[in-house]
Amino acid sequence: MPLLTVANLRKVYGGHTPVDGISFEIEAGKCVALLGPNGAGKTTTLRMLAGLLKPTSGQISFDGSPGGDYRKRIGYLPQSPAFYNWMSGQEYVVFAAKLCGISSKEAAGLAADVLEHVGLRDAGRRKIAGYSGGMKQRLGLAQALIHRPRLLLLDEPVSALDPIGRREVMELLRGIREETTVIFSTHVLHDAEEICDDIILMNQGLIAEHGALSRLRSQYSIPVIRLTTEREEKAQRWLEDLAHRSFVEQSEVSSGSATLNVKNVELARQIILQEAGSLDIPLLQFEAGSSTLEDLFMKVVGA
Amino acid sequence: MRNMWTLYHKEMLESLRSYKLIWVPVVFIILGIMQPLTTYYMPEILKASGNVPPGMLEGYEMPGSAVVMAQALGQYGTIGMLILVLGVMNSLAGERSSGTVEMLMAKPVAPAAIVSAKWAAQLTVLVMALGLGAAGAAYYTEQLMGPLSWSNLAAAAGLYGLWLLCAVSLTLLFSAWLRGPAAAFLGLLAAAAMSLAHSLLPSQLGWTPASLTAMSAEMMTEGGGFAWGPVLFAGILIVACVAAASLLIRRNQLPE
Repeated sequence: MPLLTVANLRKVYGGHTPVDGISFEIEAGKCVALLGPNGAGKTTTLRMLAGLLKPTSGQISFDGSPGGDYRKRIGYLPQSPAFYNWMSGQEYVVFAAKLCGISSKEAAGLAADVLEHVGLRDAGRRKIAGYSGGMKQRLGLAQALIHRPRLLLLDEPVSALDPIGRREVMELLRGIREETTVIFSTHVLHDAEEICDDIILMNQGLIAEHGALSRLRSQYSIPVIRLTTEREEKAQRWLEDLAHRSFVEQSEVSSGSATLNVKNVELARQIILQEAGSLDIPLLQFEAGSSTLEDLFMKVVGA
Repeated sequence: MRNMWTLYHKEMLESLRSYKLIWVPVVFIILGIMQPLTTYYMPEILKASGNVPPGMLEGYEMPGSAVVMAQALGQYGTIGMLILVLGVMNSLAGERSSGTVEMLMAKPVAPAAIVSAKWAAQLTVLVMALGLGAAGAAYYTEQLMGPLSWSNLAAAAGLYGLWLLCAVSLTLLFSAWLRGPAAAFLGLLAAAAMSLAHSLLPSQLGWTPASLTAMSAEMMTEGGGFAWGPVLFAGILIVACVAAASLLIRRNQLPE
């Protein structure tokens, strides 16, 4: 039985519909990325899943039971978490634990563990006002994890962070996804590819594509060869010549590099490398493989 | 219920850390003791200012201790109310505009628990401020003017506190859907409108909470004049404010 089932979820604000009827299921233990450009309806969807917004229509079933208040069993981290700056990190986590019905004594122990886990053990006693963006995000994860939720909802957990903060949070997520089910939204495909099993690609309030990352990758992959040479006239002529061979379906040649969509990678590789050898072409790079999900993303977004 | 206690504890900690729990009572104490002091030393103050026409000071009669005490409580109707209202204006509006309410509502917390905890924290500040202020005023009044009836004083202060609590609850309600300063303005306006309406039509509007101030003064000076009407309506108004604020905060929780 799936942990979360969403059927025909819709949200209408006045004349504008940020989420226009989406349905999906999430199995326990999965890590799912909610992917899409800005304004695709990711935040609205997560807020409805977190019970912060009432759907206009549609149904959310948690653990098989539709409706009901399941907030005790989920952890939620908003896009830009706002804390009480006069509290210390440790006080905030204890406060969050007590609101989930954990006794004060137990909360103190859990808070120490979870702060240690997110790397805020030493900073826990300091006021939140003095925290950096990365520390606030990690504190946000700590407050979402304190009551050991079955489902973790994270809204753009790394988008606003610098590369170091981003790395820290991604490493944490890699560990967290082993223990609990995670849904996180992002507009960065690379983040999704790094840690997720499944993706849900949203655009303009609808699910554009949805499924296991591995399946999507093979379904949308096109055999492609990328070549880079030294900028010589001879090499350039050769690249332009390659573009018109029978095994090339589509090509893009610019000065010193070419991207060729081919019918058969094996055959094309053999021919190209042989020719490059016999014609003494100064090759810099040769890459044979498939196009990434980036292309799928761009196609869906319609850029 | 336990959530409400946790939230109340958080509110009180914030009041303490922002020193609100200290400076509001201090202002109330100063306001309260000013009344007996200025009344007692009025002849000296007038003499010191020099240009008092002769014969005026002979006509000055020291008011009785109960009257002075009633006047002292009356001081809280303006500046005291202003301070309390300014203190409550951001309690819900601030959580909404800063976005802290989003993570709060993602926890299994009822909106009514959030609003009730805030209301209870405001009530605590009010009781402390009014209690200490009235005690300070009563001490100086007894020292300078003469003995007071402490039971009358307690009843009068309670009635005055109920009126102040009405203004605080109204501001809390407005703070659930407006910005802080607008909430304070409307809260004060509502209280002022009630007072004005009551003073224009005292016989028809005797049941409104605005008549609590007059009732408090009468209780202090004469030891009587209690009526259930205004107390009951004040209670209904306060409960309605807390309930409406809970409904509103459920709907307006997210910063757009």
